[in-house]
Amino acid sequence: MNDRLGSSGEGVGGPRLWLVSAGLVATFAVFVLRLFQLQIVEGALLNEQSERNSIRTLRLVAPRGDILDRDGRVLATTRPSFSLEVLPSELRRPERTFRALGQLLDQDPERLEARVGHPRGRARFQPVRLVSDLPFDELARVETHRYALPGVLTDVSPRRQYVDGDLFAHVLGTIGDIRADQLEEPEYQGYGPGDVIGQSGLEARLESRLRGQDGGRNVAVDVAGREVELLDQVEPVPGSPVRLTLDADLQRAAVQGFAAERPDEPERQGALVALDPRTGDVLALVSRPSFDPNAFAGGVDPVTWRALMHDEHKPLQDRAIAGQYPPGSTYKAIVAAAALEEGVASKATRVFCPGSFWFGGRRYGCWRKEGHGSVDVHAALVRSCDVFFYEMGTRIGIDRLAYYAKSFGLGRPTGIELSDEKGGLVPSSEWKRRRFGVPWYAGETVSAAIGQGYNLLTPLQLAVAYAAIANGGHVVKPRLVMPDLPPGATEEPTSFVSDVPVKPENLAIVRAGLMGVVEEPGGTGGRARVPGVNVAGKTGTAQVAGLQHFEGMDDSKIPLKFRDHAWFVAFAPAEHAEIVVAVLAEHAGHGGSAAAPIAQKVLARYFEKKAAREGLLEAESPPQQPAVAADGGTVSARPGSEPGAGSADLALGDAHARP
Amino acid sequence: MLGLDRRAWQHFDGVPFGLLLVLLAMGVANLFSATHAGADGVAPQFQRQLVSIGLAGLGLAVAVLVDYRRLERLAFPFYFLACLLTLSTLILAPIYKGNQSWLVFGPLRLQPSELAKLGLVLALSRYFQRHPPEQLHRLRDLWGPGLVIALPVAIIVAQRDTGVALLTLLVGASYLLFVHIPWRAWAVVIAAGGAGFAALVGFALEPYQRSRILDFLEPGRDPLASGYQAIQSRIAIGSGGLFGKGFLAGTQTQLRFLPTQHTDFIFSVLAEEWGFVGSALVLSLYLALLLWGLLVASRSKDGFGAMLAVGVVAMLFWPAVINIAMVLGLAPVIGVALPLFSYGGSAMIANLIGVGLLLNVSMRRYLF
Repeated sequence: MNDRLGSSGEGVGGPRLWLVSAGLVATFAVFVLRLFQLQIVEGALLNEQSERNSIRTLRLVAPRGDILDRDGRVLATTRPSFSLEVLPSELRRPERTFRALGQLLDQDPERLEARVGHPRGRARFQPVRLVSDLPFDELARVETHRYALPGVLTDVSPRRQYVDGDLFAHVLGTIGDIRADQLEEPEYQGYGPGDVIGQSGLEARLESRLRGQDGGRNVAVDVAGREVELLDQVEPVPGSPVRLTLDADLQRAAVQGFAAERPDEPERQGALVALDPRTGDVLALVSRPSFDPNAFAGGVDPVTWRALMHDEHKPLQDRAIAGQYPPGSTYKAIVAAAALEEGVASKATRVFCPGSFWFGGRRYGCWRKEGHGSVDVHAALVRSCDVFFYEMGTRIGIDRLAYYAKSFGLGRPTGIELSDEKGGLVPSSEWKRRRFGVPWYAGETVSAAIGQGYNLLTPLQLAVAYAAIANGGHVVKPRLVMPDLPPGATEEPTSFVSDVPVKPENLAIVRAGLMGVVEEPGGTGGRARVPGVNVAGKTGTAQVAGLQHFEGMDDSKIPLKFRDHAWFVAFAPAEHAEIVVAVLAEHAGHGGSAAAPIAQKVLARYFEKKAAREGLLEAESPPQQPAVAADGGTVSARPGSEPGAGSADLALGDAHARP
Repeated sequence: MLGLDRRAWQHFDGVPFGLLLVLLAMGVANLFSATHAGADGVAPQFQRQLVSIGLAGLGLAVAVLVDYRRLERLAFPFYFLACLLTLSTLILAPIYKGNQSWLVFGPLRLQPSELAKLGLVLALSRYFQRHPPEQLHRLRDLWGPGLVIALPVAIIVAQRDTGVALLTLLVGASYLLFVHIPWRAWAVVIAAGGAGFAALVGFALEPYQRSRILDFLEPGRDPLASGYQAIQSRIAIGSGGLFGKGFLAGTQTQLRFLPTQHTDFIFSVLAEEWGFVGSALVLSLYLALLLWGLLVASRSKDGFGAMLAVGVVAMLFWPAVINIAMVLGLAPVIGVALPLFSYGGSAMIANLIGVGLLLNVSMRRYLF
């Protein structure tokens, strides 16, 4: 080889050149080996990573099913919610963009800019959320200027909306992100982190029905996260709508009943339950104070949450199903039924009330110090004579009384479709021995007979017990979700779970007494009267602990939180009841004055609606067929007819179907 | 002046020139893909590169036609001119992308440090022609070439263009492989080189460059920020597999997950879209070209030609090896472009002139 470098010197060039060449070849051999390792050995793995890089599976969140009232009005729905985002990598002139955004949104540009900050590296390609749930007018303003605002994006996602705000808060409940501990439970199989689920109320109970099936789309995205190509898409399946038994009109009437009488007073606290005693449908379920579940729909902020949690009035508690109160005089109807059924008293049995009752060397006062004179069971109910029921209590005995009370559904949860329901308490001698290890004292039966002492029940339980009195002895399992009608059926199935061991004629005596409470002069519940309808009811006063201190004091002088709770429970029409209403007004004083007017509002609204429906029915009937019009009236007055579910159209159809 | 001797043309190295054209064609196609990503039509950078290749082709033609021996006397003037141009950037040029290495003349942008590398090759070849390497026996004999190397390197360091400075130093140091100083002296040279490198890392490196070296030593140190490039490059290459995803079909490239894909990571584009087969082919073409350059050096009839060939091989070898090693995750990510493939006009012109010189030396090896 003619080697200039090698030939002219001793040992120069030649060997070195060979060495250099060998080094070159070795270097490139290393490269080829490395290529082999990356592309052939690890190729599949790295290819997967490249797909993960560029193929993004975006979830299309299925909207939750709507929740409707019994007339089909929307209570909870899902609406699109727009949010404003900024993609830092796409911002061209940040100061100008943020100044413009500040003007459009009426916010401080510097604060907007501070929220985005100065992300580096890959974070620049992650959108930063500036405003969530953008109001529509602001969205429109931003959209019209979008062309001049590179890097500003709007995103849309479904958001739960509770149309009536706090009206149905406790029933409907709240939604929220699934918690880590929930993810581990079997019932949440198929859920993943970040999924939104019903966390309380019917939203939680009906999760499987309301939840749709999320869809998804595979898109190719570039490094900035922009979608460049849609690869495939599976449409989400929205959740099923659920129709409830609730009537929004009655619910609203009930809440109006709790509203303050004067603007400077706070709203009254308490609970209301309205039931259809023929079916078990819950027509209204109210707990005041309430909260706005919309605040939870987008993830509740900690300040709101803490305020709700620490509010001394406990707005999150559902008083209708979890508030346990002594039943007070409302218990007397059950004691009366038990006394009649046990045979310790008859319709004619009279007890003389001198204003007090002596038992075991102790004096038990009647609420009317002057006494009621000689009263039978009817008069005792109408005038709520304590002494009559003290006497009945001692005749029945605590354990038989407990047996009857339990048969009316007291002492255990009613089984409504809500969690956190409380069972109340029906005391018995065995219970006391178990609980306190001491025997029952006969004197305690005296207090128990007028619903004081250990007795506790929830407004819902009281409504169920009175529903049994009203419907001839059937204990219902209250239901919030309208059952699906079996094919061919025209009437809703009932939800009777058991019957009370009381003969119908004895229940009739109790009903008559309860009707007297409202309709007779001298009755304690006169303020619940509804024109044109016979209303039956019972007042009650649940003593708050430590009340002896204030005995004899004028109500208005007792501090609010030590004032008695006021009860009123009613059903109407008294003979063939279609609706039962139980009201508890906390610290409101006497049932007759504080709670009865609230129940009255609901009853009045119910019969107003019913009259309107019947009027509509007659008005729409063809005039040339008077027989049908008359028939139509019959249809809706029929005792078994269903007021809410049978809309005017349905009833009309019924009428036409008749020959 | 122009040596259009018929005998010279008889010895024109057609095969290596053909390989060069294949390499250039693949580079052009690959750059089209790299710049096509996300853009509509033909990207302006691609158009600029075509113009640069045209100019570089002219440069190559001139470098082939002018008898290289005429360059002997022009070597140092060219060297000083290039150094002066590079120096002028410190006064004239704006700081662009963290360094100050560009001269802008209207639509033309020149990076004189690329020419300075070529100037260094010419000057060192001339120096070793005067002082044949086999005659350098003592350490102090290295003062001369050391100064010739140090001048452009110092200027480029002052520009804060660490990558090019390192390459220039390596090109110059490559000549030392052929000097005959004793082994003890080598230890001194290596120690000095090590100290210089440490000083470079310690003082001249930007924080981001230092963190890249740390990223290399500890991959996944910061996967979303500074380690991002290396990871994305690795994914791009590996996902190419045996035959690649196809022209314009690489997702890493076309969706721009690859960083600086038209310059530093151009080889990742190739590997993703052409796979193991395509990238191994390109590596072979580079290897063939470099080995041919060494062959030209060994066959040269005079010292200047041989040294010129060695210098050009070094000028192509170092950036190619560093770039590919970096892209393959075998070296830290330092901004070094791949010769003949990456976007960049000045480097293309300097490199094609260099290849022209190789052809020049080769075809005139029988002429006296």
